[in-house]
Amino acid sequence: MTATAAQTYLKTRARIMAERLFSAQRLEQLLQSPLEDLGREFELESVIENSASQAALNRAAERALIHTLMLELSVLLRPLDGGARGILMHWTRKFELYNLKALIRGKLQGLPFEQIKPNLYDLPALIRLPHDRLLRTESILELLRSLEQGPFADIALQARRVYEEKNEPFSLDAAIDRSYYTGMLRRIRRVADDDRAPLQRLVGTLIDQQNLIWLLRYRFSYRLSPSETYYLLVPFGRRLHQERLKRLVNQERFELVIEQLPERLRACMEGVQDLLGAERRLEAETAAQARDCLRFSQSAVTRSLAYLVLREMDLKKLYALVQGKVLQLSDPLIRIAVGMAQHGSDEQREAGREDV
Amino acid sequence: MFSPRPMKHVMIQVLTGDLPQVSLILAELELFSPDHRALCAEHFPWVPGERFRELYTQASGRLQKISRHIPLAPQVQLGGVHVISEQELEETNRWLGQVWERCSAHEEGLRRLGDERQMVLQLEQALENFGELNIDLGLLQGERMFLDIHVGMVPRANVTQLKEAVTLANYLLFAYMEHEKSVHVIVVGPKGEHERELRSVLDTAGFRALPIPPELQHEPERVRAELDRRKLELAQQLQHENEDIRACANELREQFEQSRGILIMAEPFVRIDTAARSAGQLSIISGWIPARDIPRIRAALEAALDNPFRIDARSPSSDERPLVPSYMPDNRLMTPFATLVKQYGIPRYGEVDPTAIFALTFILMFGMMFGDVGHGATIALTAWLARSKLKTYTLFVVSIGLSAALFGLLYGSVFGYEHLFEALWIAPLSDPVRMLSLALQWGVAFLVLISLISIYNRIIQGELVRALFDNNGVASALLYLSVLYGLYNYYTDGRFGIAAAVVSAAALLALLVYKLIQTRASPGERLLVALIETFESLTSYASNTLSFLRVAAFSLNHVALAVAVFTLADTMVSLHAHIITVVCGNLFILVLEGAIVTIQALRLEYYEGFSRFYSGDGLEFRPLRLNTGGKA
Repeated sequence: MTATAAQTYLKTRARIMAERLFSAQRLEQLLQSPLEDLGREFELESVIENSASQAALNRAAERALIHTLMLELSVLLRPLDGGARGILMHWTRKFELYNLKALIRGKLQGLPFEQIKPNLYDLPALIRLPHDRLLRTESILELLRSLEQGPFADIALQARRVYEEKNEPFSLDAAIDRSYYTGMLRRIRRVADDDRAPLQRLVGTLIDQQNLIWLLRYRFSYRLSPSETYYLLVPFGRRLHQERLKRLVNQERFELVIEQLPERLRACMEGVQDLLGAERRLEAETAAQARDCLRFSQSAVTRSLAYLVLREMDLKKLYALVQGKVLQLSDPLIRIAVGMAQHGSDEQREAGREDV
Repeated sequence: MFSPRPMKHVMIQVLTGDLPQVSLILAELELFSPDHRALCAEHFPWVPGERFRELYTQASGRLQKISRHIPLAPQVQLGGVHVISEQELEETNRWLGQVWERCSAHEEGLRRLGDERQMVLQLEQALENFGELNIDLGLLQGERMFLDIHVGMVPRANVTQLKEAVTLANYLLFAYMEHEKSVHVIVVGPKGEHERELRSVLDTAGFRALPIPPELQHEPERVRAELDRRKLELAQQLQHENEDIRACANELREQFEQSRGILIMAEPFVRIDTAARSAGQLSIISGWIPARDIPRIRAALEAALDNPFRIDARSPSSDERPLVPSYMPDNRLMTPFATLVKQYGIPRYGEVDPTAIFALTFILMFGMMFGDVGHGATIALTAWLARSKLKTYTLFVVSIGLSAALFGLLYGSVFGYEHLFEALWIAPLSDPVRMLSLALQWGVAFLVLISLISIYNRIIQGELVRALFDNNGVASALLYLSVLYGLYNYYTDGRFGIAAAVVSAAALLALLVYKLIQTRASPGERLLVALIETFESLTSYASNTLSFLRVAAFSLNHVALAVAVFTLADTMVSLHAHIITVVCGNLFILVLEGAIVTIQALRLEYYEGFSRFYSGDGLEFRPLRLNTGGKA
């Protein structure tokens, strides 16, 4: 397939697949559907019918949804090669890195094999860490030595300091996230000129979302100093550049941070007073940006990545919806979990009184 | 000899308590390949031995990790083979856990020493670097009244971010020396409110302080001596650590080997895995056994089990054929050839095992292409002398050497000398056209044989229509032979011949109709695909046949190379130079042409032969066995 044909094919593919994304009406419809119908529609029947325990259900549903995502990824990967292929492959490594975080945290807390394993994503072999070998290490020190031998040596170093000096593992999370995003940006620098700028914009948006959430959390929940907070961020965002981040971490109050944001982000965060609300708004903003990329970007690989970002968000919502229904939670509470109701709304307060 | 042995699917019903013993007996006999499908799951819902498997997995993982420090013997002699109980396995696992704790502490100790050594080296380099700077190091030491100064190292990846971060606490970071993984930095700022904040950031960024000895300014030699002493001390500690682990290895080796033996005997029950299912006291084990060995298995179980058991054996159904493992017993003579065949793939159950055909045709083709008594004898003799290194490949190399020597006699060639004795058959350069026509005849015979095997394989697999009409089927072979016959007629009589034309046309038509039926596409595309594929099946026969011209070409090439060597030698003035040129030239021919001919013969086997009849996607028979050859 020629490069032009591959681009056209991929754009068409992404366009067709975009039909699967959930609109607000579709989410409402899913919310009203009985659990059995959801099972049939998303091929989760066996999961819903056979899972005896809550933990088993969670695990099986999560596995089924990641499997769906990976199948779609494999379709998008087909016409790609070289750097563009590497971008999409690298995006999926986020799941592997979630696992790495869970694994190290579990071992840091001295949890046994059986207790850590259910908290790991069951990933396809293509992107899977050698879980069993790492899980079967018998102490945190042995795990760290194993990690030091491979591509995660820098992360192992950070984890060792966390372990030896009994620190909070923020630096560990930051090291893992930074390694993920710098890896992504390194790959973006290698792709063709036409793809580079749109990809940088999309990935920059993802980084902005993550930076702002972590900034608010580190500064106002964990009470870290400005310099330490800045150190833990990833200063390669789209709108939140180094200087802006430095200004933001120096603010002493939540509202002041919001005030100092660039115009578009400030508009989207207007009225937000807490972290949960900020997460919701930023996710909605990221989704809006990703939708723009999916519809208008000239770069086929950017469209594909945007689709994957949006699809992951949708599948998480679906996962929350299925969980809510299995747990027989009330509609208002499921709406909050799925992001269909505003956080802090009357609806939520009502739901909270009923269920919490 | 020419196809995998007939297999039976067996279901052995035993009492659940006897499962470990049955697994062990089956492993000792090395005749049982487990079938892991969930057969009879409705009647036998449980897979027994979960705890046993978990213990085994942990214990064998520990054994492998420990073997990095206490090397295992390459072969193990199992003493009294006995059934391993869960309790015995648990005790072994516990003991291995204790040993691993010691080994892990040793690894951590080595790591710590390595780190310290690295630190001393870094400090040494840093001090050298400071020595070259014209600054008062006293300023960098101890508490200052107004400045907070930190000298140390940071992981390379963290420096840029840290440099920006410390500015937020009113500090400055200077990098003064860079290494592959770390950067030496000085961080300096005003004393006061941000000191704690800075320490926290440095800590998060993996900063390691480098202690600068106060004597450096005035007594640098003493500092260097101190660092040398520290390095020596670390080297001694390292030696102690290694001696400790060696002593530990000597102390524990015997018991470690015993533990390995226990794991080897426990392994068969673990490998049985889902091939065993149980319903309370009753269990089944399913798998594949060579048909003729069922009585042996029955007798062994009767002799060993006190409780009753039952073996139900049946032939594999047609649906199951792709799942049946192909059992080709080890044959010492055929081992090297079987290895080369396996490089291509494993025959499906029932298919012709090409090893014997491969061995015979490969040896013949090598000899034809490399016919020379001297070269062949040299190859055979070298292989014999290097037999300890070549091991099972000795016979292979000796065979091709003898074949080359035999054809050397037929061609009248010894170390490139073509006139030392009379050729028993033909000297290749004396009649090249005859050599080429003989090579073509050999190719035709080879391809016909391959087509017959292909037809047989399809019949065995129950694919009668494909055997008749598909590529390399009856129709293709008839087309090939009739066209050849027609061409022969044309060459001898000047006419293609009616019989040849009729058979060719009929076969071509049959092929075309078959392709038309088989192709799933729109009518136009279907016709196009069918025409191209039919044409392709004819042209592939033609090109494959012509491929065999290389057999003659290389025999001619061999002589031509020898002629070149002698021409070059004849230009030498002295006898010594002549002899050296002849010897070097022969060595060149032996190595270079020997390698090329081997590759060409393999190519003919794989591409003109195997690709026509051999799917190579069969399953190898891997029986349950006691793994005494190394890994547990």
